[in-house]
Amino acid sequence: MLVVLAGGMFAGIIGSLTGLGGGLVIVPLLALVLHLPLTQAVGVSLFGVIATSTGAAPRFVGTGYSNVRLGLILQVAASSGALLGALISHWVPSRALFLVFGLVMLYSAVMSFLPTAHDSAGATEDSPLAARFRLASRYKKEGEWVEYRVVGVAPAFGIMVGAGLLSALLGIGSGVFKVLAMDRLMRLPFKVSTATSNFMIGMTAATSAGYYLSHGDVSPGVAGPVIVGVLAGAHIGGHWMTVLPVKTLRRVFAVVLSFVALDMLLKGFGI
Amino acid sequence: MKAALDQQRRFITLWILRLSIGLSVGCILAGLGIFLAMGADYLPHTPSGSIVQILAYVWQEAVSLHASAFLDAGVLVILFTPLARLVSGVVANVRARDWLYVSIGLGVIALVLTGLFTGQS
Repeated sequence: MLVVLAGGMFAGIIGSLTGLGGGLVIVPLLALVLHLPLTQAVGVSLFGVIATSTGAAPRFVGTGYSNVRLGLILQVAASSGALLGALISHWVPSRALFLVFGLVMLYSAVMSFLPTAHDSAGATEDSPLAARFRLASRYKKEGEWVEYRVVGVAPAFGIMVGAGLLSALLGIGSGVFKVLAMDRLMRLPFKVSTATSNFMIGMTAATSAGYYLSHGDVSPGVAGPVIVGVLAGAHIGGHWMTVLPVKTLRRVFAVVLSFVALDMLLKGFGI
Repeated sequence: MKAALDQQRRFITLWILRLSIGLSVGCILAGLGIFLAMGADYLPHTPSGSIVQILAYVWQEAVSLHASAFLDAGVLVILFTPLARLVSGVVANVRARDWLYVSIGLGVIALVLTGLFTGQS
């Protein structure tokens, strides 16, 4: 119980400091260290993902960072993908899941070394679809409201189906894919991308977490400490964010992530 | 009028988030406390079946102060938090007569509920 609680707390701290998401810590901890079957590790991790999203959400309320309309539109795709992922989760062989998880971890680690912020290259005009759904909005920056436009809704919608599918199969928030789609394809301000992604990951995880719970894959004795640990860790991480060198930390964690990814890949290859 | 609705929406969202975090953490800590104090065997218990069956189980076991019921309740509160946010968003859009987003919100709720009701083993 203490190991799970500490693991959840570590996931919460890392998630809030690096933005890499707690699922990438919780699933390997439960599957590789505590030897839980992968479907159970995934089921429990999804509750950790909902806790991460819930714990971080109050910070964004009233700032305008979270574009709720855009989040809802894209959520139709993400929840559809998550539902599909949950439905096929018990038919996908564990080795294949280990392989995909390892690849996603490696991808997340590589992304940690690439620049992300695109604030200066925002769209100047809404695409017809964005205009139809009134997706342009504004956010607060240094006390002033900054307006922004939205493009690339259709391709981002497609990516969200994949992000939802991976979330349900691997027990992760898939924030790295959601932010990527919003940042690169929709050319949203980075803070808007991360806040809207946070709004979405909880709903995406809830779509498949209910499935895993009803299916008997979620032990409350494990999920409970994970939830408390993640919420406490996210709170601590929020405070540490101002005093720790987050960029360096993110890169160090990415290197650690690469080693865990390698372990997952080896398991996937049956080595 | 729009500013007042936005203000109200922010207040309700914050209220839902804080209440659910407090309730979930409170239930889980109570469950862990009972487990440590009474040595209840919560770990072998894993709920399954329909959400209605799980809720009925939680209610029955909570009356007998079983640790597993409190842990289940904390887990369920976290599960229903995104759904509560969605419902409050739909209500806000109904009040703003924004029917496009009322229907999109209802569509997402239907997807989340489908997930809840298709996993029964």
